[in-house]
Amino acid sequence: MKRAVWLAAVLGFFLGPAGSALAAQGVMVAPHAVYIDHRVRSGSVLLYNPGTEPVEVTISTLFAYPTTDSAGAIGLDTLPADSAASALGWIQAFPRRLTVAPLERQTVRLLARPPAGLADGEYWVRLVIAAKAGTIPITGVSDTTAIQVGLTLQVRTIIGIAYRKGPVTTGVTLSNVRARLLNDTTLVTQSRLVRRGNAAFVGTVRGTIVDSTGTIRASFFTPLGVYFTMEPRIASTIAKLPRGRYWLRYEVVAEREDLDPSVVLRAPTARDSVRLVVP
Amino acid sequence: MNRLGRLLALAAVLTLGATPRGAAQGGSGSFSADAVVVTVGMTIATIQDLTFGSVPKGVATTVTPAGATAGQWQITGNPNAFVTIAFTLPTVLTNIQALPGSTMPISFGLTSALWRRANNNPAGANAFSPALGTVGRFGPPANATINIWIGGTVNPAAAAKPGIYQGTVILSLTYL
Repeated sequence: MKRAVWLAAVLGFFLGPAGSALAAQGVMVAPHAVYIDHRVRSGSVLLYNPGTEPVEVTISTLFAYPTTDSAGAIGLDTLPADSAASALGWIQAFPRRLTVAPLERQTVRLLARPPAGLADGEYWVRLVIAAKAGTIPITGVSDTTAIQVGLTLQVRTIIGIAYRKGPVTTGVTLSNVRARLLNDTTLVTQSRLVRRGNAAFVGTVRGTIVDSTGTIRASFFTPLGVYFTMEPRIASTIAKLPRGRYWLRYEVVAEREDLDPSVVLRAPTARDSVRLVVP
Repeated sequence: MNRLGRLLALAAVLTLGATPRGAAQGGSGSFSADAVVVTVGMTIATIQDLTFGSVPKGVATTVTPAGATAGQWQITGNPNAFVTIAFTLPTVLTNIQALPGSTMPISFGLTSALWRRANNNPAGANAFSPALGTVGRFGPPANATINIWIGGTVNPAAAAKPGIYQGTVILSLTYL
């Protein structure tokens, strides 16, 4: 009872006065990354419908992980050649179809049935949460010669699931850091990142620009996951720098603001610095 | 905090509330004795459906992604994080009031979609091909959102049957 009252109060705070409904339709998925321990072999994902209409949800899985192309653009490789780290065949989600009523929450359970003799390490799968919120409200066509056209929009939220068995370690090797200004206020950096250990490196890239006196003139950060090898190109908006010579201090740290620290594997910070000249 | 931001925070709170009592304690929760995990989720909110309205027969009708009737989503998530943006697009729309087989072609150009960090104004957004997809990025902590717009072109034949033509556009967002 206390929890119900508390939840009602929280809903009131977040949804605003008079319980006014959100005009937009969608489903909230939390968390956006799930870590399952081999000793527990289960996990869960919360779905919440903040809208005013029921949302039909379908759950499925796929195997994929982030990579970069030759230009450094980050993408999701959905047909990776190396599937040794795939948990696609043995992690299942229940239920696979559900309806989330307005302002209601539902839990999707994840159950792992790993094969016997599974080697220590980290295994990955992606959970696909497909949400459909009704259809476009096209009213009847009064003029029988008219043509009405509308498109229903559906959304799929795809989050990562990692399954960890036994000792797991990670780390990242940083090399070939480069930086340039694309224009006065866009800093483009790129580096080669090679994962070490038997688990994905989930961390953050931090960059700091310092001038000749050591004063910090700009900074940026980007959460990143290195599953094997990648060379991410990161563009960041910074304040315009005066002409001169600067250093870009670039570091890759095993920290994430958005994840429970207990699931972020510790790893040494990788650092490097490069010159940046503003002509 | 905007409404979506508040809803995102609500997800975290609900996650806390869903945790069984007696579960292991984490280091970062302080909301209640049940707190275990403080984490953010991701919300994809459909702000507006893509609507062509009434279209004349035999004439192509285009809705631009920056147009008033373009489809729009707003995604709230982890500040500065990258996500892939991919679409599953129809090639024809089906007349749901006529006999089976009554369809209308629909197409999407190389710049039929837009995305923008932390700003819901399509003017100045990044154009991309919805058929090819792209990689977007959430805004900074103060406004960790991505806005996406989509337009398209329908081309009803001169002999197209009257009625309501419908199809489905699927937007897929993947955390990287």
